[in-house]
Amino acid sequence: MIRRVPSPRCMRLVGLPALLLAFLFLFSQAVAAADGPIVSVSDLLANGEAYNNTAITVEGELVGDYGFRRDGFMWTQLNDDSYAREALVNGGPRTGANTGIGVRMPSSLGEDLDPVGGYRLEGPLVQLAGTWRYHDPERGGETYLDAADLVVIEGGRRLEEGPDWSVFALGAVLIGSSLVLWYQRRRSAEG
Amino acid sequence: MLIRPEREDFRIVAFALGRIFMVVAAASLLPLVWAALGREWHPFASFLLMIGIFAFLGQLGLRYQPANERLDWSHGMVVVALTWLAVPAIGSIPFIFSGHYGSPVDAVFDAMSGLSTTGLALVQDLDHLAPSLNFWRHLLHFLGGQGIIIAALVLFAGGGGLTLYYGEARDERILPSVRSTARFIWAVALVHLAAGVLVLGVIAHQVLGFEWKRAFFHSLMVFFAGFDTGGFAPQSTSLGYYHSAIFEFAALVLMVAGAMSFGLHYALWRGPRRALFKNLETRTILTTVTVTMVLTMVGLAVAGIYTSFQGLTRQGFFQVVSAHSGTGFSTVPSVELATWGGLAFAGMTIAMALGGMASSTAGGIKSLRVGLIVKSVANQTKQLLLPEGAVVGTQYFQSGRKSLTPELAQSAMSVALLYVVLFLLGAGVALGYGYGFQEALFESVSAGASVGLSVGITEPSMPMLLKLTYMFQMWAGRLEFVAVFALLGFLYAWVRGK
Repeated sequence: MIRRVPSPRCMRLVGLPALLLAFLFLFSQAVAAADGPIVSVSDLLANGEAYNNTAITVEGELVGDYGFRRDGFMWTQLNDDSYAREALVNGGPRTGANTGIGVRMPSSLGEDLDPVGGYRLEGPLVQLAGTWRYHDPERGGETYLDAADLVVIEGGRRLEEGPDWSVFALGAVLIGSSLVLWYQRRRSAEG
Repeated sequence: MLIRPEREDFRIVAFALGRIFMVVAAASLLPLVWAALGREWHPFASFLLMIGIFAFLGQLGLRYQPANERLDWSHGMVVVALTWLAVPAIGSIPFIFSGHYGSPVDAVFDAMSGLSTTGLALVQDLDHLAPSLNFWRHLLHFLGGQGIIIAALVLFAGGGGLTLYYGEARDERILPSVRSTARFIWAVALVHLAAGVLVLGVIAHQVLGFEWKRAFFHSLMVFFAGFDTGGFAPQSTSLGYYHSAIFEFAALVLMVAGAMSFGLHYALWRGPRRALFKNLETRTILTTVTVTMVLTMVGLAVAGIYTSFQGLTRQGFFQVVSAHSGTGFSTVPSVELATWGGLAFAGMTIAMALGGMASSTAGGIKSLRVGLIVKSVANQTKQLLLPEGAVVGTQYFQSGRKSLTPELAQSAMSVALLYVVLFLLGAGVALGYGYGFQEALFESVSAGASVGLSVGITEPSMPMLLKLTYMFQMWAGRLEFVAVFALLGFLYAWVRGK
């Protein structure tokens, strides 16, 4: 079942007591969702075998696609990197490549989620509890998180990225100049 | 005595470059339209700038119409080498302005990797990259794999096509004229494009459950990267993103088709098909794929990396075909690939180094050369063992009976040796920076053979000299050295010639 917790972005507007209360609420929700220890995705990728078939909890942004399959499962990708917390387009720092894992969950868990992360889209920041499948023999050696519980820490949102007018103008000037050169060449060829 | 290039030589080169830039400017309209349709105005502006530069330089070049348009061998080679430097440099402009690259060098690195169909990447936060930029990355694979020059040959009937054609590392003319051969190559690509996108798209929608629009996007990107043996992927987890054996299989078919020579495509289309299996190149690649597959599988089994037969075969098979075809798709993360030691490492590295067939989109030493070298060594060994005066047959079958002359064997050995030197160069630089031998060699072979599999060395924080070395390897490896030497010779003659 999906559980939603208040977005921390909204909490900046309220006072300290409310923030503390919200923190306690968040914390209790996180504990409730976690069937196992919270593990970072980079740790999972580096030590995948050590966590095989154990209950773990991961946090991150859902990105890419929600693939609802006919077998009753939904597949997506969870990224646990700096971009999951602060998007590049919003001035977040560049910290290298993405750090993500595949996630499988019952379709019912994924039905009411906000749009998945992508260009100008911050996907929902979630906490997923489930079993880590490393080189799963039943799925041809795939590695993924078999999620059973999902908590939405922060909903997804749309981001803005306007045009760079100086780049636009420079491009237009160059194309205009090319057309002038082409016209001159054509005239000289005719004449 | 070296002869200094004259004004007319520069005019010939500039004019040919002008034509090619205009073709690239036209091709660049596709991502511009994509950005406009998706209302991605930030990338739209940078595509406009890139097209403006290509078109402006193209028109400038076309002003220098030479008295004789016909390119001789050295002109053609210089044009090819410069094209493969200039297009990544200018083609990196949308990447530079995207904010997803740490420096302009990183952006040029990815553009070179795209055009050379390598697939190593320095892009940061790929999962939030604009679809039009992702499309441009993959379109670079298509332009590089099918050949920008080939596109120019189809569009312009100018003289000197043969030298341009060979300059782009294509060894055989399939049809009587270069132009008709170029048309055939693009026809093969377009037929595969239609079929590949349809099949992958239907799988993505029906099996993976993607929306139609996203299914089309993924299928188009995977087609470009698979058929052109490139290796970029639309998501950061490469082909591991899809978690689907059937999708991987469809991509695998495209990789194999991409690694096949266009001569083989022609024979498959027009026949006779029986002769295909008599070809030295076909037999060689079947043998080397089998050997490297066995090496990798045994290595993985001995190391106990996969505990099930299905896991071992599916993951091992995919990774080896990806390496041998020079594609670079992966279903395992690079951090895990780095743990494949022993025989698995040997199998994968040898597969990458050997590469696909000649006149294909794949890189590496190429199967025909490997076959010729093995046959030549075998002939010499036989000659030593037989009584003096005995005659050893020196013929081989490759689209008909051909003679394995000492010059041909020497040429194949020289190119293979140059590849080994290229691989050692990258490995040496990485070793100098303290990377382990296994990782250094793997990544270097991947760059030099235009593969794109990574064990984690290629990342934005890697040393600048290593980035430049890999870029050189991608460029020289893709052009198979001849055009690179021609450019160096041209520049040397310009400075020191009389």
